[in-house]
Amino acid sequence: MKIVIVDYGMGNVKSINSTLKHLGVDDVQVSYDYDILKSADKIILPGVGSFGEAMFRIRERKIDVYLNDIVVENKKPLLGICLGMQILGVSSTEGGLNDGLGFVNALAVKIDNSNIKVPHVGFNQVKIDARLRLYDGFSDEADFYFTHSYKMTSEDQINQCYCHYENDFIASFECENIAGVQFHPELSQNNGLKMLNNFIDKF
Amino acid sequence: MLRKRIIFSLIYSDEYFMQSRNFRLQKVGNLNWLEKNYEFGKIAFSLDELIVLNASKNQKCIQKFATTISKLVKDVFIPIAAGGGIRSFEDAELLFKNGADKIILNSILYENPNLVKRLVKHFGSQSVVASVDYRTIKNIREVYINDGRIKIEKSMEDYIQDLIKLDVGELYLNSIDKDGTGFGYDFDTIHNIVDTIKLPLIISGGAGNEFHLIQGLDIEGVSAVATANLFNFVGNGLPNARVKILESGLNIANWNVNN
Repeated sequence: MKIVIVDYGMGNVKSINSTLKHLGVDDVQVSYDYDILKSADKIILPGVGSFGEAMFRIRERKIDVYLNDIVVENKKPLLGICLGMQILGVSSTEGGLNDGLGFVNALAVKIDNSNIKVPHVGFNQVKIDARLRLYDGFSDEADFYFTHSYKMTSEDQINQCYCHYENDFIASFECENIAGVQFHPELSQNNGLKMLNNFIDKF
Repeated sequence: MLRKRIIFSLIYSDEYFMQSRNFRLQKVGNLNWLEKNYEFGKIAFSLDELIVLNASKNQKCIQKFATTISKLVKDVFIPIAAGGGIRSFEDAELLFKNGADKIILNSILYENPNLVKRLVKHFGSQSVVASVDYRTIKNIREVYINDGRIKIEKSMEDYIQDLIKLDVGELYLNSIDKDGTGFGYDFDTIHNIVDTIKLPLIISGGAGNEFHLIQGLDIEGVSAVATANLFNFVGNGLPNARVKILESGLNIANWNVNN
């Protein structure tokens, strides 16, 4: 099993890397090289940071073009994590209006509500649809670790599961070979390990 | 519903982990000691987050600190926030590269707010924790920077509002008077300011047992309780505390650790 973590110079890829190794993935690489991405069995798009800056770096390295070819055209499984999930959508209002990769029809908007603290930080329960591949073996609710100030919304049916923080927001989605999670599976104890294992096994 | 968090803070100084009391440091053990007595691979299942602070008094070698972080994060699948001595963009980047999920800022919040803005812009608010050390003198709360050495000329209440404007993601509030005492948190101050803080609030300083953690978590606006007491929670101290807190009915995550 070869998993490539997309490297665009932002965020902590080390914890994802060590989690994958802990799960027994023998070949984990961190790269943005086209040939290496193409040779992967699966791709993980991580992300910590701001949307605009992330997209700037992604375009600068032509990662948008590569992923379009490898993931959209050639259907290689991809998991976006946190900002990496939001980037898969059409746009975000973070730091002005910025376009994302547009692989799914979804938007990222600020969690804006005077009744709650922002960012949304800590474990929260995801309402799980256990028929989905990401949640195989889960029951109806599970705690995952979140840390984010923007949330994803979508009008489309993208097999989304929701989490509640004053309002519902998309905690995860899966469409064919593309999945995204707003939470950090690599920081979510056993639930996170189990979900990542599902991505490795079932996609 | 968003859960509250239990955080363990490790105080690091020149490759050793320390017990701090009112910011005076006592050497406890190195990374080997820590692994032997705390087994983070296992007891991390009792914690929501780990904080590691570089409190080296003289020259803070951020490179060595980063190396320690990178050793610590192996097989620990919880968020790690690291800080102490971050003075440049590169310092912050180095800690992220070595496995920190968040950075903790203190002195530069006061000395270099422009750098803080740059860090927030680049890494996002959610990756930046603002740490405030304070002591209460004649009913006035004074903020200290540089490991508690320098008092700033601003009230704590005003200072915190300034920090919120910098768009930092969380506030780590630490009472120097209570630090390491094990007498319980500074509830007077916490009650006094909790409603004015629109950020996730982590309280620190004084927790000596699980009842203190429970008391802290019981306050509505408190998002997380932290303890840095290496002595009081050694061995199974943290797992046992978590069980008692769960039994008390507080809203913390309950992972089925046997699944």
